[in-house]
Amino acid sequence: MVQTISLQTVLREAVATPYRDLVTRATGAAVRGRIEATLALADWTVTLLDFSGVDCLDLSCADEIVAKLLLAAASRDRVVVLVGVRDDQRDALEHVLAHHRLAAAARLHGGDTTDVLGWTSGDARHAFAALRAHGPADAPLLAARLDWTLERAEVALEDLSRHRIARATGGVFHPVTLP
Amino acid sequence: MTRVVEVPAHFDDRSFDQFAGWFGDWPSEERVLVDARGCQWGSPYGLVGLLTAGQALVEAGRERPLFTVPASDDVRRYWARTGFFAHAAELFEVHGRVPRSAATGPSDVLLDVTPIRASGDIHEIVGKIQEGAARILTGELGIEAKATMGFAMALSEACQNIVEHAGTSGWVAVQAYTFRRRLGRRVVVIAVSDAGVGFRRSLESTQAKRFGDRWGDPTALEAALIQNVSRFRDPGRGQGLAGIKRYLSRWQGKISIRSGTARLAIVPTWDEDVPLVDHLPFFPGAQVQIVIPAQHAES
Repeated sequence: MVQTISLQTVLREAVATPYRDLVTRATGAAVRGRIEATLALADWTVTLLDFSGVDCLDLSCADEIVAKLLLAAASRDRVVVLVGVRDDQRDALEHVLAHHRLAAAARLHGGDTTDVLGWTSGDARHAFAALRAHGPADAPLLAARLDWTLERAEVALEDLSRHRIARATGGVFHPVTLP
Repeated sequence: MTRVVEVPAHFDDRSFDQFAGWFGDWPSEERVLVDARGCQWGSPYGLVGLLTAGQALVEAGRERPLFTVPASDDVRRYWARTGFFAHAAELFEVHGRVPRSAATGPSDVLLDVTPIRASGDIHEIVGKIQEGAARILTGELGIEAKATMGFAMALSEACQNIVEHAGTSGWVAVQAYTFRRRLGRRVVVIAVSDAGVGFRRSLESTQAKRFGDRWGDPTALEAALIQNVSRFRDPGRGQGLAGIKRYLSRWQGKISIRSGTARLAIVPTWDEDVPLVDHLPFFPGAQVQIVIPAQHAES
């Protein structure tokens, strides 16, 4: 199951004032606390964190919310996907995810562009784009689609799988669900 | 007895050490008179530094310091416009005529002198500054529009150092002006200052052992600004200054941090500052200056 969480809404609830900026570590911790409380009662496996309506995102807040949720999700068989991410927010997210050697799939704001943010290789990003464009694949099929060696495709898919951006079922890799 | 502390005629990050030197041993046992009568110009760094001096003396339990306002009408008007005198009146016994401040539409003051006490203050300033920052950054400095949010991020992270590490409140001001002497271009300057424990004491419990005999104000600044070290054991900490450096490297910006008796800077090619200066006159807390220059020379 997939559930969308609006960060703008959670921010408003967490700080009880009409702020539009996700800034400061204290605010990030308050927002994450609310999201974790929601997730604790949920039975869905994919959570879409929606940045629509959020203005500034600073590194401290990005670290508290996104990095810590991803670290927690890894141990609970859950997937976190970022949606509605603007270019300037992407910078902050790339920074904190790379810092923790994390990665996440993201749908960028105002378009159909989907990408992988954070600590992944260029090959993993290409592999994810290929899975999104042409459908699930095992390593030989992906290698054929991208004109790669089998080993190169295996490494890229393993990278995506480790970051929970693609899920393997019987050797076939499915990209994470995005709206 | 009264100790007279002269405010330099051109009061900025460079002349700040001269100002700090007048205080002698800190905190002075004598009552302090901060004499700004001869000041002809004060940068945001100078203004927040003045308030920090007053705050530190008050927090150290010393007699309320005296402050004489600048003789120049223009300087007084401008300082009033930044909100400086309203805050100074809470910390100093102010002597001299202070004009009433009147904000009249867009100006080079992007953010008045503002106290930072808690994270809510940072929300307020980040929300407040975005429109003015976009106007100056894209309109005057030739920086692409999407960089405005990076600017707000840098401001937020700089202010958070006060909330997270200083152990007391502090001050921030943001202003655009022309850096005639050093650069001949328009710049936006963020100045943040606090009267707190400073970088050395903040990092001492986790870092002093690692540096051994070398431990002091310069190595504490090096740990924080160059090595992105934080006093917290949380591995996510220490990214704020790293993020500021990354933003500044994109726009040939400069950051300098003064704490205790040292100052460390990441110096861009347009500036002649030295990266590290030690054995400066002591000044309490930490003072951060971030400078973002116009991408093209003024025509």
